[in-house]
Amino acid sequence: MTDVGPRMEVRALGLDFANPVLCASGTFGYGREFDGLCDISRLGGLVTKGVSLEPRAGNPPPRICETASGMLNSIGLENVGLRAFVRDKLPFLRDCGTRVLVNFFGETLDEYVRCAAGLSGQRGVDALEANISCPNVEAGGIEFGVDPQMAGRLVERVCGATDLPVVVKLTPNVTDAVPIARACVEAGAAGLSLINTLKGLAVDARTGMPRLARRFGGLSGPAIKPVALRLVYQVAQARLGVPILGIGGIMTGEDAAEFLVAGATLVQVGTASFTRPDAATRVADQLKRFCQEHHPRLDDVGQLVGTLR
Amino acid sequence: MGFFEAHVLQNDEVSAGYALLSLGGCDALSGARPGQFAMLRGEWDRDPVLPRAYSILGATEGRARFLVKQVGRGSRLLASAAAGVRVTVLGPLGNGFPSASPGAGPDLLVAGGCGLPPLHLAAIRATEGDTPGAVELLLGARCAAELPHPLLEELGERDVAVSLATEDGSDGEQGLVTDLLERRLAAGAAGRVLACGPTGMLRAVREVTRRHRVPCLLSLEAEMACGLGACLGCAVEGRDRKYVHVCSDGPVFDAEEVWP
Repeated sequence: MTDVGPRMEVRALGLDFANPVLCASGTFGYGREFDGLCDISRLGGLVTKGVSLEPRAGNPPPRICETASGMLNSIGLENVGLRAFVRDKLPFLRDCGTRVLVNFFGETLDEYVRCAAGLSGQRGVDALEANISCPNVEAGGIEFGVDPQMAGRLVERVCGATDLPVVVKLTPNVTDAVPIARACVEAGAAGLSLINTLKGLAVDARTGMPRLARRFGGLSGPAIKPVALRLVYQVAQARLGVPILGIGGIMTGEDAAEFLVAGATLVQVGTASFTRPDAATRVADQLKRFCQEHHPRLDDVGQLVGTLR
Repeated sequence: MGFFEAHVLQNDEVSAGYALLSLGGCDALSGARPGQFAMLRGEWDRDPVLPRAYSILGATEGRARFLVKQVGRGSRLLASAAAGVRVTVLGPLGNGFPSASPGAGPDLLVAGGCGLPPLHLAAIRATEGDTPGAVELLLGARCAAELPHPLLEELGERDVAVSLATEDGSDGEQGLVTDLLERRLAAGAAGRVLACGPTGMLRAVREVTRRHRVPCLLSLEAEMACGLGACLGCAVEGRDRKYVHVCSDGPVFDAEEVWP
């Protein structure tokens, strides 16, 4: 088969990606869950389930509910913890044939720093993705990611603890994401992932109960795509000099192309992996076909990035 | 276990609010154990976004069957999917009921409403094989109109002894399936009780089996996104207050392992 269409390889974060499509954190487990169902070696990369210093049990059920064109989740960051991640999950990821970004988080600055340090120097980890949408227990539970100063200080400490590129995943639940994005980049972030889920509530009016045990959950899926595109575009327009990893409701190659046009260098497929486990490789294939069909003169998929008129 | 595209062969309303969905192209499900499930999703673009988890009612020669209770948009779409509609299938998933240890005495099967499929399959399997034994199934429903008669007829043809309870007394005994279970266990021993149905019913089944000191296995349901142990959405509190996951640790649990 002759290879037609644009070059799909992307250079970002100091790494080579086979294509711009990654799997998003929390929707692809630790990779192995999808072994045999999705050809992981054909992904641009994958972002692991969030890892914390110590294991976390997560929230009481119900933890998920479906909403129009999306879903709400309040899993509560259940995870096996750093030690078990390195021992039990990383060996598979080391040999899975794609770029591995490890998502991590903490409840204090110190936990973030120790987790980042513990992941550094581990073979098989190509980059870190810091989830800063977590409550800072030392600051009364306000999320790290909603305040530029707090976010900047966190990112500075994390970057000081690791040689790996650190991508910061931003929350959309703020009035203006640009100052937070800028603070993260000035503090050393190598890239920005956006968006994390939108905070939402689902109600059962028959029983008067919230549908999730913890009341609020994070909205994901196609319902949030316009919000995600808007934020990607706004942050891209700030020209902060780091790549953007666009996330939010990507189901098709055309959705991915929209994120590139809005300013994302890479994209992440999240909820769609629940719809079908091979969603991300399909998105990558469709993106290439979309380019061939609609941008036949494109040599390189990267030429689409930030072309919104 | 695999992910593949199937198609609707037949979709019949078998009782009020229940459809019997037959899918072609499901050879991968033929070895499924009773209690294993599949994630089903039709070709409906972006909404509803999630597939739905259904217990496998059996699969032979590529034809798999599911009992679909209409509760929301996703199940209504599946229940009304016409012949030829493409459906993606991920399965078989989960553990299923473990085999009985030899000489343990016959299993007693207890089902409530849409919990029938794993026990229907267990009953059919028990009548096959080298040493087909006597099989007994207790089924509860709200009313006679909800009873899936075609499935009950299949059990009758295999000489499975079926006892019915309806809450309004419109068929079988008036009352709950746990009333039947109580009397049945008072009358004689059973090797194990295998049960599937609404959570309230399963808790009551556990109480009855505890009183009669009969081992009990429950097939649970939960809201689920991936079916693979990746999203961790289907958590249920386990005995030691640690969460277990219905998709990857279950859906079948020893009754003493869940709900502290």
